[in-house]
Amino acid sequence: MIEAKNVIKKYGQVTALDDFTVDIPKGKIGILGPNGAGKSTFVKIALGLIESTSGEITVLGENLDKNSIEIRKKIGYMPEHDCIPNKMTGVEFLIEMGQVSGLDYQTATQRTHEILGHLRMGEEKYRLIEEYSGGMRQKIKLAQGLVHGPELMFLDEPTSGLDPNARQEMLETINGLAEISNTNVLLSTHILQDVETVCDYVIIINNGKLQIKENVKELVKRQTDTIQIRVGENSDEFISILKQNNNKRNIEITDRWIRIPYKNEESFKEIISAAASAKCQLYEMERIAMTMDNIYLEVVN
Amino acid sequence: MKNDAKIADKFKDFKPNLSDRRNIILGMGLRGFEKLFSLKNKSILFLIGIVYLWTFAFYLLLGQDSYPCNTVSEELKTCTHLNFYGDLQYGGTRIFLVLIAAVASSGLIANDLTDKSIHLYLSRPISRIDYLIARIIPIFLLMLTITLIPNLVVFISQFSKSGLDVDFLSSNMWTLSNLILQAIFYSISYSIIGITFSAAINRESLASAGFFGTVYGVSLIVEIFYGLMSEMDIENSEYILLLSIIHFLDIISYKIFNVDYFVTIFGSPEVIEFPLSIIIGLYVLLFSSFILLVNYIISKMEVTK
Repeated sequence: MIEAKNVIKKYGQVTALDDFTVDIPKGKIGILGPNGAGKSTFVKIALGLIESTSGEITVLGENLDKNSIEIRKKIGYMPEHDCIPNKMTGVEFLIEMGQVSGLDYQTATQRTHEILGHLRMGEEKYRLIEEYSGGMRQKIKLAQGLVHGPELMFLDEPTSGLDPNARQEMLETINGLAEISNTNVLLSTHILQDVETVCDYVIIINNGKLQIKENVKELVKRQTDTIQIRVGENSDEFISILKQNNNKRNIEITDRWIRIPYKNEESFKEIISAAASAKCQLYEMERIAMTMDNIYLEVVN
Repeated sequence: MKNDAKIADKFKDFKPNLSDRRNIILGMGLRGFEKLFSLKNKSILFLIGIVYLWTFAFYLLLGQDSYPCNTVSEELKTCTHLNFYGDLQYGGTRIFLVLIAAVASSGLIANDLTDKSIHLYLSRPISRIDYLIARIIPIFLLMLTITLIPNLVVFISQFSKSGLDVDFLSSNMWTLSNLILQAIFYSISYSIIGITFSAAINRESLASAGFFGTVYGVSLIVEIFYGLMSEMDIENSEYILLLSIIHFLDIISYKIFNVDYFVTIFGSPEVIEFPLSIIIGLYVLLFSSFILLVNYIISKMEVTK
């Protein structure tokens, strides 16, 4: 869907993207990273809003440098910040955006009402945008990006500034609309749960560099619940007892740590018993839950 | 249920034929023009009304044989058509033209910058220059309606006064083309100035005030200074007139009609001559700088969000 090769973007002395190379597949993709990681910069470059200092980007099979205008016909964009005019109604604004995307008035009107219907906006769509709540404004921002039926939708921090209920509703809406409108999604966020809820694939960026690119399901599989142990002498015998007790299941051994899967509270007793049998001194024993958060923090830090 | 499914499929398989950039730009421009005539823009409608009232009054004045040849000295004002149009537009209603341009153009980019909707426009299949053209079109068309149409009304009234003589038309074809060119020239110039102020001062009311002050206010000050410098016989004092946009545009306008430019200082008219190359060079330099400045402001905003 998007292929970036050695993309560098500098703002004066600051390097926002540093030799960034990635091949993003079709589907619902999350770009994850802390604030200032380079997510928005990448999205804006991929949209053709700003130019990269060097490197090459292909979007939906077309070279961005040569066909940025044509590419934008196939792209929808929901920016992070508030950027909708207050003095228009929701319907007027979406029709205008549809027409600016190249739709004729009739099609833009029809599509506007369809999308607002899917967003469960009733009579309020005829009210001025300045009267809308934060959640409704986000919906309008989302709708304007979908009004011309894009193949790919860029969502830049779509849940930013929303309360938990509105956030959940927004994520469901994104999921639902992406499904029914057959649109690929590129979701840029610093909130891990947003990616988990919406995306099939995740890309983690930090300091302008690609840190990880993985299927979300695979990443979820990496979530583990283990007991981490640090021991003294006679560790070989201790490990062999543990392996016998655990049917050789997933015992991870490093220079410093031994990790065995946590089953229940009995696991601790088994470890103590194994250490006693092997006459091995236990220095530390701690339950470690490796969640998506931990994986993310490990990658980012 | 089947019906619902059909609707869902239609929504899912939405593959519209999107129009090209030219149509998008033209559409944006025409919608913007239409909005300027909306009842929300009462001040603009009021000013347009005044311009057309003055056109009507001028039409009546033309009916009097004494107008305009006896109002100023023969050698300067020789009853050329420019004088008719000049008196109609750039003497009598000039202040309203500048006011309309200032009020109508101030919000065109400023509003998009203030509410940041410019990000959404620029994410559409149009370039930054396309966007600028789309924003210039409404004010350009508005200016045409208050420069070209009244001029045409005067031309038609003169044609009517000639007894609908076909010879009048053939002998005044150049006048007709010149007044069209002059109206386009004023309209495009004021549109570019308006757009520049709208982008540079991204608050509608301040942009209006800035435009009016810079264009009209400066012209008054420059005229006074020129008068004083002339009284003191300072050499090349006429170049100070180039600091006033109104005078500068008038100079070019007179060149279009190929007549001598004159300016009335303390009640007495004076002919002033400038080399054509300087005037054209300065115009190109000034207005291309305006366009580049607007482009720069918008590009800067994209980078900094």
